[in-house]
Amino acid sequence: MSIKKPDLLQGTLDLLVLKTLAQGPHHGYGIAQKILLSSRQIIDVQQGSLYPALHRLERKGLVKSEWRESDAGRMARVYSLTRTGHKHLASEIEQWSRYAAAINWVLEG
Amino acid sequence: MWRPWSKPDQDLEREISFHLETLADGYQRQGMSREEAMREARREFGGVEPVKEACRDERWWRPLAELARDIRFGWRMMRRAPAITGAALISLALGIGATTAILSLADVLLWRSLGVPEPEQLYEVLWEVKEYPKLNRSSSGGTSREGALLVSDFFSSQGLDALRAATAGKGDVAAHVVGGEKASATYDGRIAVTNIRPVTGNFFEMLRVQPALGRLLNDGDDSASATPVVVLSHRFWVSQLGGASDVIGRPLRINNHVYEIAGVLPARFLGIVPGDNTEIYAPIRQSPVFLAQDSWIRERADDPLCWWLHPIVRRAPGVTQEQLRDIMDAAFATSWVMKPSNAETTPHIRLSDASRGLGSIRRGLGNPLLILLGMVLLVLIAACANIANLMLARAVSREKEIALRISLGCGQGRLLKQLFTESLMLASIGGALSIPAATAILALMSRLIPVRGGEMMLAVTPDPRSLASTAIVTLLAAVLFGLYPAWRAVRIDAGPALKEVTGSSAAHRRSRWAAAKILVLLQVSLGVVLVTAAVLFTGNLWEIVHRDTGFERGNILLFDVRPGEIGYQDDRLQQFYTSLEQRLTEVPGVRDVGLANTRPMLGGGYWSGVQGPGRIRKVQSAIHHMSARFMATMGVPVVAGRMLTRQEIESGAKVAVISQDVAKQLQLPSPLGSRISMGQQGGEGTFEVVGVARAARYSDMERTPPVVYIPFNYEQPSATVVIQAAVPPLGLLPAVQGAVKELSRELPLLDVYTMEQQISRTLQRERLFAWLCGSFGVLALVLCIVGLYGLMSHTTARRTQEIGIRMAMGATRGGIIRLCLRSGLGLALGGLILGVPPAVYAMRLAEQQRMIPEGPFPYGSLAAAIGLIALSALLAVVIPALRAANTQPAQALRRG
Repeated sequence: MSIKKPDLLQGTLDLLVLKTLAQGPHHGYGIAQKILLSSRQIIDVQQGSLYPALHRLERKGLVKSEWRESDAGRMARVYSLTRTGHKHLASEIEQWSRYAAAINWVLEG
Repeated sequence: MWRPWSKPDQDLEREISFHLETLADGYQRQGMSREEAMREARREFGGVEPVKEACRDERWWRPLAELARDIRFGWRMMRRAPAITGAALISLALGIGATTAILSLADVLLWRSLGVPEPEQLYEVLWEVKEYPKLNRSSSGGTSREGALLVSDFFSSQGLDALRAATAGKGDVAAHVVGGEKASATYDGRIAVTNIRPVTGNFFEMLRVQPALGRLLNDGDDSASATPVVVLSHRFWVSQLGGASDVIGRPLRINNHVYEIAGVLPARFLGIVPGDNTEIYAPIRQSPVFLAQDSWIRERADDPLCWWLHPIVRRAPGVTQEQLRDIMDAAFATSWVMKPSNAETTPHIRLSDASRGLGSIRRGLGNPLLILLGMVLLVLIAACANIANLMLARAVSREKEIALRISLGCGQGRLLKQLFTESLMLASIGGALSIPAATAILALMSRLIPVRGGEMMLAVTPDPRSLASTAIVTLLAAVLFGLYPAWRAVRIDAGPALKEVTGSSAAHRRSRWAAAKILVLLQVSLGVVLVTAAVLFTGNLWEIVHRDTGFERGNILLFDVRPGEIGYQDDRLQQFYTSLEQRLTEVPGVRDVGLANTRPMLGGGYWSGVQGPGRIRKVQSAIHHMSARFMATMGVPVVAGRMLTRQEIESGAKVAVISQDVAKQLQLPSPLGSRISMGQQGGEGTFEVVGVARAARYSDMERTPPVVYIPFNYEQPSATVVIQAAVPPLGLLPAVQGAVKELSRELPLLDVYTMEQQISRTLQRERLFAWLCGSFGVLALVLCIVGLYGLMSHTTARRTQEIGIRMAMGATRGGIIRLCLRSGLGLALGGLILGVPPAVYAMRLAEQQRMIPEGPFPYGSLAAAIGLIALSALLAVVIPALRAANTQPAQALRRG
């Protein structure tokens, strides 16, 4: 996985993708745009690296995909969160918050 | 062809192009041309192909797809070299097959426990003594020599009773009789020839076997007044009675006696001897051998001087083997009716572990079988070395391909997996092929292993255990021949390997050749051992088979008839024999017909001490009852005096022809007319010698024993018919059968063999070794040739350029040939030298185990083996050398 901004931690991409999809189904391009927007233009995911992540999540059963017609009239593969995906996201967010808080304590202490 | 990954590939393609186009749409809206927009989109997206590859890595079937690709690739590589692959597969199949076969045989004969509860409590009761005591007059059983001791397995019925009484509460003693005789059993009109084991009533109680059906025997069954009952083996019940549950209580006729079927044994009880072929168990005093008209057992069953029972004991829990032995030893001594003359002739009880069955086969075949197992493992190692060598050579020729793949970013692990998959494929195909090979080898072996009363019963279909052993051996083989070459192949420095041209050399390659040379060296030295054994054992068999028998062996046909079993008695029996002889003589193609009460070359016979006038010495001789034409039919000439006349034989006159050895050993000054006596206390009577016959082999090929020929016993219910034919003897069989049928419609011809077949049946162990070792030797020789040839043709092929330069510089063809021969033959010579000490050791071992006759060290066999290997090595080396010498310098140089 190659990422433009070196400060995107290993494993966090999956979390970002899941969180984005929790707000509704998206295709890969849409997810990239959404992450860029929500991170206030700071996290610019290398677009190609999204796809291995999406496929990995699909293999794990956290997301599912279907082909739908996009606004431009092209067929797009749209991903959405499964029930396990939702559960997994919740626990991931909790873990992440504890992790982030811990890092903060270290940095502040 | 449908592939699970082709549809997802299209989807991936569409998904990514959607992304790119959507991105490009954005740039286009910013005023870029479509072309520029697409370029920008690709830049933003990142490398498309790596992304696709990363996505493919995420698929769950990825490992399977890789394996499938590896297998297809491996298959292509195998098909590219069909000869090498074929040779590798055949050697593997035979190597693994033979290993599996011998392992299963060793398992059945040596390692498997009896199918009874707590088999470790069982012991075979034997007695050991330094010098054979005069405690019995007749015996039935086996005596073997173990060092300074004679070990015997037979007891009188008084002895058995004493042992049973003394061990009450401490152990449980039962006994069986080695019947040996086959009998015909008739159930519901169908006849089958079966093996019957007479046992004491408490036999199954002692073994603690529970019936699958009905009941087993009890003490009440083993008496002359009881209703005759039998117990059937599970195998017999299924194969002959169709496994019907209503057989209990139904009648089974054995010979001329009707028995009631009491019960059926469970399937897991396979008898008390490894490879036991017993099908019916009968109480001793009701058994066919006891009830037979001429049963010597019945006459002497209660004679304390007749030792004929074979006891087995189960010790009670908490009693040690030593305690039990001491108790039995004391009881044994009380059962003797005579006193041993001194300590040397006082027998002592020995308890021999019977948890894996009684030991007679194990004693005879155990060590030889382990030697065979060792040999077959050597063959397997040689086969693996061969394949490792082929893989090494192939790795060298694929060096560039592998270097290319590494420099293109293929991981070493991935490559290792690919190469290992290939050897695993070879191993598993070889393993699959080895199952039929093992089955065939087992079938051959079970036919060649001597067992009293016919063929051995072995699980010839590969059972789960032998299959598991095959799988393990296969895996082991894959690791042995696959891992090292694969590991060598991927540890390659891609840069120089790619730059290198054919024919140059590098340090790592030299070490690779060193590995190949070591493997060839190993093969040649293993070859010396295996080929020596092959030469030794086949030579031994050939020598024995071609010994002079002293009688005609070419056109002789033998078979048995048992008119006594179908109701012929007394005068009718004698009449039957006479007319049978007469009728068979009239069959066209028959030269001569003789009858005998004992089959020649059976490995046994009726033996008795023979004494001359004055009874100074006693000569142990075979007593042979025969009809008037027997000696003429067999071609045994009378060298002095005359043959017995027909009139003498039919009237049972007390006249005899003795063999030269009898005359010599009795030191009769003029044998003709002298009177000899034989049998227990002269029981057989005194005979007048009327002729002396030339010495001939009698019961086996080992020796030429003293034989006394006396008139045929017309009261015996069975006889062996010997026919000398003017044509190949088996061709006469239909006519002979027809002639017998005219006399009696229900009389079967039993054990029909030609004399050559009969002789080879006495040589089963020798044949087993000759066959197996012979084929191991051939296999080893082929492996040697293939290994050497492969190595040499590879080295010379790689030195083409060097040879081209040498020739351009003026080297002669002879010089080139010498150059190539030197390295190859040096290797072969090294292997030969390394192989001699283990070969000598193996020969000593074979001699110790009495698998070959003792005598001067067989240097001839060793020399022959070495010569054979040297010759084949020369062949394997000369061809590549000649090819190298034919190199055209101009072409060779241009090719670089």
